Amino acid sequence: MGKKKIGIYSFSGCSGEQLVILECGAELFNLCDLTEIKSFPMAQSNNEYTLLDIGLLEGSITTERQKRELKEIRSHAKILVAMGICACFGGIQSMKLGEGGWKKRFQKVYGDEDKLFKTMKPLESKPCNAFVKIDYYIPGCPIDKKQFLHSITHVLNGSSPYLYQFSVCTECKWKENDCLLLRGLPCLGPLTRGGCGAACLCYNIPCVGCWGPAEVLNVPSEYRLLIEKGYTTEEIQRKFRKFGGAPMVECLKKIMKQSNYSATKAPRLKGGI
Amino acid sequence: MRVLWMKKEDLREFLESSKQFGELWGPVQKGEVYVYDKIDDFSRLILEPKRTLLPVKKLIHPPEFNILRYEGETYKTELENIPRRVVYGVPPCDIHGLLILDDLFRRYYPDPYYITRRERTAILGVSFCTPTEGCLCKSMGTDVVQEGFDLFFSDLKDFYLVWVGSSLGDDMVKVRPDLFNNNITRKHLDKFMECKKERDEKFTKSIDMTVIPDIMELSYDSPVWEEIGERCLECGACTMVCPTCNCYNVVDEPSISGFTGERRRYWDCCIFTEYSLVAGGDNFRATRADRLKLWYTHKLKSFGYSGKPACVGCGRCIDTCPVDINVLSVVRGLLGGKEKEGKS
Repeated sequence: MGKKKIGIYSFSGCSGEQLVILECGAELFNLCDLTEIKSFPMAQSNNEYTLLDIGLLEGSITTERQKRELKEIRSHAKILVAMGICACFGGIQSMKLGEGGWKKRFQKVYGDEDKLFKTMKPLESKPCNAFVKIDYYIPGCPIDKKQFLHSITHVLNGSSPYLYQFSVCTECKWKENDCLLLRGLPCLGPLTRGGCGAACLCYNIPCVGCWGPAEVLNVPSEYRLLIEKGYTTEEIQRKFRKFGGAPMVECLKKIMKQSNYSATKAPRLKGGI
Repeated sequence: MRVLWMKKEDLREFLESSKQFGELWGPVQKGEVYVYDKIDDFSRLILEPKRTLLPVKKLIHPPEFNILRYEGETYKTELENIPRRVVYGVPPCDIHGLLILDDLFRRYYPDPYYITRRERTAILGVSFCTPTEGCLCKSMGTDVVQEGFDLFFSDLKDFYLVWVGSSLGDDMVKVRPDLFNNNITRKHLDKFMECKKERDEKFTKSIDMTVIPDIMELSYDSPVWEEIGERCLECGACTMVCPTCNCYNVVDEPSISGFTGERRRYWDCCIFTEYSLVAGGDNFRATRADRLKLWYTHKLKSFGYSGKPACVGCGRCIDTCPVDINVLSVVRGLLGGKEKEGKS
């Protein structure tokens, strides 16, 4: 059996995932030994779209050309892995996803579309799974080295990666940080996928949700909690949507549909403290 | 049990001498919370017992660690790397938490990782802390402790009454016999009773544990579970800080070559959806209400083979939950909000 062929492809994002892979040290050499790397734009020239065992994607899709390339990669790859918040959820550039009005916003910034970007044909930024089937996700902004190595090892060996399903709070408690929500700060820890080691919380900086929505989350409860802490619905929605992508938009739509929604309607225990 | 007394000012000297039994650990302040930490600088150590964010279980049953490393077909556990420690400042509720974990990890399912850490950790308890908001140890009967420690210091203002709870504790005392006094008189006993009474009067919250286990049994269909299930953020913080939560997950982390790797163990939590998820996608406790009910059944009704409630009344869930779900609010909810808030 020959070496497995892998390819790393970059769309719209900061290429942070590739940098993390480049920082893997000795394990990167082992990866190079065991695989044939067909594409890795930050590390080599002559990158190609070819038959692959594993395709690794970073960045969100923002042009017709990227969309075409993504579909081509999918057709060539046995397994596709989305890496990082942009590929998994759309990233910060997709924060208005689902709101409509993209054309108007685009025009405001770039002017008349017909006169610009003839070759690229811009699209509203969307995560990779809006266009093709993604087999596995490695969340993060950027991804975590350990989670990347864990995932690529499992995928190379034909098994499924197993990443933390819990939210940031779990690791935050392991690190014995004071809960910022209890201090009244707008921390998105309970809504956000764990794995970052509660990096910001260890410096008393509230979680902004950059790893994307957790597998299981209770958006209405956190929403109510922040209303109780005195934040406005606009502030909360902006915070939730910054990295939340399409899943968060859906959750928020449901919350806002409850027409008489207000903090006083929050279910409380009888005689609760 | 051997009981001695010691002058308060001699504590520091004693703790310095105890360092020959292992690294000295104790509560220190970290931002607005207290945590157990290694004491290199004695001025950081807080002498009176504090409600640390994580209980002392973090040193015996750590949040995450490697069980073993493997290479080819051989493996090596990491038991020999476990350091010897002397942990000062452990309150009675935390020691009761350890006793419940002992039951589980030493008696019924001998766990070498727990047992080794437990044996290499000297527990120096301290009591007669001023109860703070949320202290429920008196309700739970965990405000006094007879076993589970090596030495126990009852802080009686002018002096410590020192209870020797193990042969290791005895050895520690023997290193500095000059600091301890055998002569316990009526005066010491009177002071002990006086301090206990004074402390007992300072509890502000209580739970009537003579009825709560039965109330739990009768509340299986209570709407309270749905209500808290809707509010719970599923963050797992309550289980992480609970002295008697013990669940963990084990995962293998092979290296890319596949030849070497390590087996990691880290805290899991029954509040998580994934916890009760099984192959095929079925979930035994699919709703948060179901999962919270299980947790509170363990804490307030019965847990493990002892069949006793596992809550030790440390109050950490009260300090920790961002949405006010804790033993106190659940009990109030189950009692229809009639639970008295005054003194017991």
